Amino acid sequence: MSKNGTKTPPESTPAGKPSKNTGPDKTIRKRAAQYSDRWSSYSLNNNITYISERLSAEDLRDYEIFREYSDNFLEKISPDIASVVWKKDALLFEEGTYIDLAFYVVEGEVEVSLEKGEKGTTTSEKVTAPGSAPPRGRADESRQTVFLDMVELSKELAKRSESKNITMLSAMDFNLPRDSKTRLGPGELFGEIGALSGWPQSVTARTLGDCRLIQIRLPALRLMKSKSPELKQHLDRLYRERSLYSQLKHTALFRGFGREHLEVLTDQVELVSLEPDQVFVHQGQPADSFFMVRSGFIKLLQRLGESDQVVSYLSKGQTLGEIELLIDGIDTWETSAVSVEYAELIKIPKRVILEVLAQQPKLEERLWRSAAERVRNNGMSRRNLSHSEFTQVALERGLVEGSSILVIDLTTCTRCDDCVRACAATHQGRPRFVREGDKIGNLLIPKSCYHCRDPVCLVGCPTGAIHRVGATEVVKIDPEICIGCSTCANNCPYDAIVMHDMDEKWPEDMIPSGLRGTPRLQASKCDLCYGTGHDPACVTNCPQGCASRLNDLGDFEHLFKGK
Amino acid sequence: MCLGLLVANSFLDEIGPYTLWGMGYGIAATTLLVAVFLYALRRRSARIVSRLSLGRARSWLYFHIYGGALFLLLLLMHTGFRFPTGILARLMWFLSLWTVLTGLAGLALQRWIPRALASGLSIEVLYDRVPDLIEEIRRKAEALAATCAEPIQTFYAKNMAHTLEGPDRRWIYYLDITGGVQARLRRFDYLRDFLSTEDQSKLGELQRLYKTKLEIDAHYTLQRLLRTWLYAHVPAAVMLLALVALHIFTVFYY
Repeated sequence: MSKNGTKTPPESTPAGKPSKNTGPDKTIRKRAAQYSDRWSSYSLNNNITYISERLSAEDLRDYEIFREYSDNFLEKISPDIASVVWKKDALLFEEGTYIDLAFYVVEGEVEVSLEKGEKGTTTSEKVTAPGSAPPRGRADESRQTVFLDMVELSKELAKRSESKNITMLSAMDFNLPRDSKTRLGPGELFGEIGALSGWPQSVTARTLGDCRLIQIRLPALRLMKSKSPELKQHLDRLYRERSLYSQLKHTALFRGFGREHLEVLTDQVELVSLEPDQVFVHQGQPADSFFMVRSGFIKLLQRLGESDQVVSYLSKGQTLGEIELLIDGIDTWETSAVSVEYAELIKIPKRVILEVLAQQPKLEERLWRSAAERVRNNGMSRRNLSHSEFTQVALERGLVEGSSILVIDLTTCTRCDDCVRACAATHQGRPRFVREGDKIGNLLIPKSCYHCRDPVCLVGCPTGAIHRVGATEVVKIDPEICIGCSTCANNCPYDAIVMHDMDEKWPEDMIPSGLRGTPRLQASKCDLCYGTGHDPACVTNCPQGCASRLNDLGDFEHLFKGK
Repeated sequence: MCLGLLVANSFLDEIGPYTLWGMGYGIAATTLLVAVFLYALRRRSARIVSRLSLGRARSWLYFHIYGGALFLLLLLMHTGFRFPTGILARLMWFLSLWTVLTGLAGLALQRWIPRALASGLSIEVLYDRVPDLIEEIRRKAEALAATCAEPIQTFYAKNMAHTLEGPDRRWIYYLDITGGVQARLRRFDYLRDFLSTEDQSKLGELQRLYKTKLEIDAHYTLQRLLRTWLYAHVPAAVMLLALVALHIFTVFYY
């Protein structure tokens, strides 16, 4: 890390040895702390007329939302809170963007809208993203499909997830009908669902007049929520009102259910927030609930002799409790469950799910399918310790996050570097990865973008330069609008984004003005050769066939155990 | 198919370079040689090849290997399985044999070396960065040794300093990838018992650096062999191609 906080290409450490930011512990720590130092990017925004210095406990107490907290607590969270005045018609966030903060309206009004999506146009063409530099020249064509239409995106995601038997939840902050608007005034909080769940916004928010907002970043929001039962209740209520129904409707488990059944659930579920490493289910204790993961990862452990063995893991949309619910004679939890990182869950009391089950026979079929998978996984882990070991490694190294992870089989790799050369040839001479990284068994995981299912690098990009391409898993940077703030590079837990010094300075007419005359940096990462019309060059140009892109942990495990 | 042709040829005509059959074999061998050579061009034109969807590098490599072997067979059929007369022809014959044999040797190396490197070493190293890595290790070790007690400094000067000067190729790595590493590390253990707890931990760190250096040496030795092998194969292949062009010219001109 250089002194200005930007990452430079990897230092000369032997790959395979945990380098400064790789090893599992570092990764987990970094993931936990990845939301720090984020105000800098927002202050670049030219729609902001005022952004406060760090607020004191006394300042914060002026606002209703902070009144119940102690001075010590407010001092602790104050670095993650700012009072910001936005101009009229300023865009706070738009459909499809990722945010890591909630907004509390102090003065003025904010309009939240679900715009009518038009294919072939981008929202970013219609409005200027927060803090954006005006696009120079013709922006990347792939951006044309970025913010198509969140409904289309949800449909596509649902289609994909159905085929993979995975459910993807989107951050539906408001249950708005398409092409409609709503207004939020002083005392209202918004944006918190997207921030807490880590999913893209389903709506666009802009100020109606000059507007003073209190912006609360995720770490503070989480602490406030855990400290105050009232706030938790309030947030849960907002979530229930604005989002839960839509989210449940889109899960694989409850898809196709009538409103009456889902409303029974939305009224009676409990929303659970977990800290990293929090045990919320203990093996052997009475199983009285059913859980669904809203965000984060959960590992399932089973006692084996004196130690706990990882048998499986759960990610967004997956459920826990089917076995205990369905199989007669099993009334206690078969496994313990621990959060790997911050996680949000929906807890459904057993009584409630049994009621729905009695009315909806197809739910039972879906639950059986999920239970069978869980039993198979648990059994496999008990019989085969390497499965358990692999699951543990996959969780520690973040492999569960990746939708396309570059893997090199070192038992066949001749170290010819044709993969890197091909990558460079495809990207104007600048390779998007180096053949260095974590070594897991005889597999090398180079420092190349994982294209995470929950891409934290997207959070806080002031121009929206880093984006997900349409309904694909591809995470891409638009060089035309990247202002080199390094936010994405600092967020990435896997050091897969590198800041390149472009050997020039920003011009004097640059917007935002803070960058004028400063050295121009540009973020660079793997884009899976998107838009080139061919498969990733690293894979197609490997003469030994040892480079592959994996998106399925089963394939990964097969390769891992085969070596 | 080649063998079928050869049998048919033996019944119908004399087997030799000047017959129609022999010319046919020669043309086929030349065509194959050029096609096989395209693999080298493909490696240098990844972007164009990817854009035009001309297949995966792996398929090209398979063609290169099998095509190269077939080329030798066609060449032998072209010469009628006789040692040719004339300097140019003999030179081409030798170069063909050399190119194919070094190709097969390379294939064997490409199968063996990755497995060897993956089997006993805990690190992975980029060949081009070996000197930098060793220099970094040397600097770290030297700085650490300077802060240690006198026995460690003496030990460092006597047993470590020369090893850390630069990359070392050692023959033992060809036979055993962990070649003598444990024996070398044992020297540290003998000294450890005589040190304070603080110095023991410093010695432990020096030992770790030393082990990394030895593993880098193992990578360097074997990866260098893979790279050196190309010098035995590629220039001969290029020369062969040039001589074949000359051969065709002389055949048609004279």
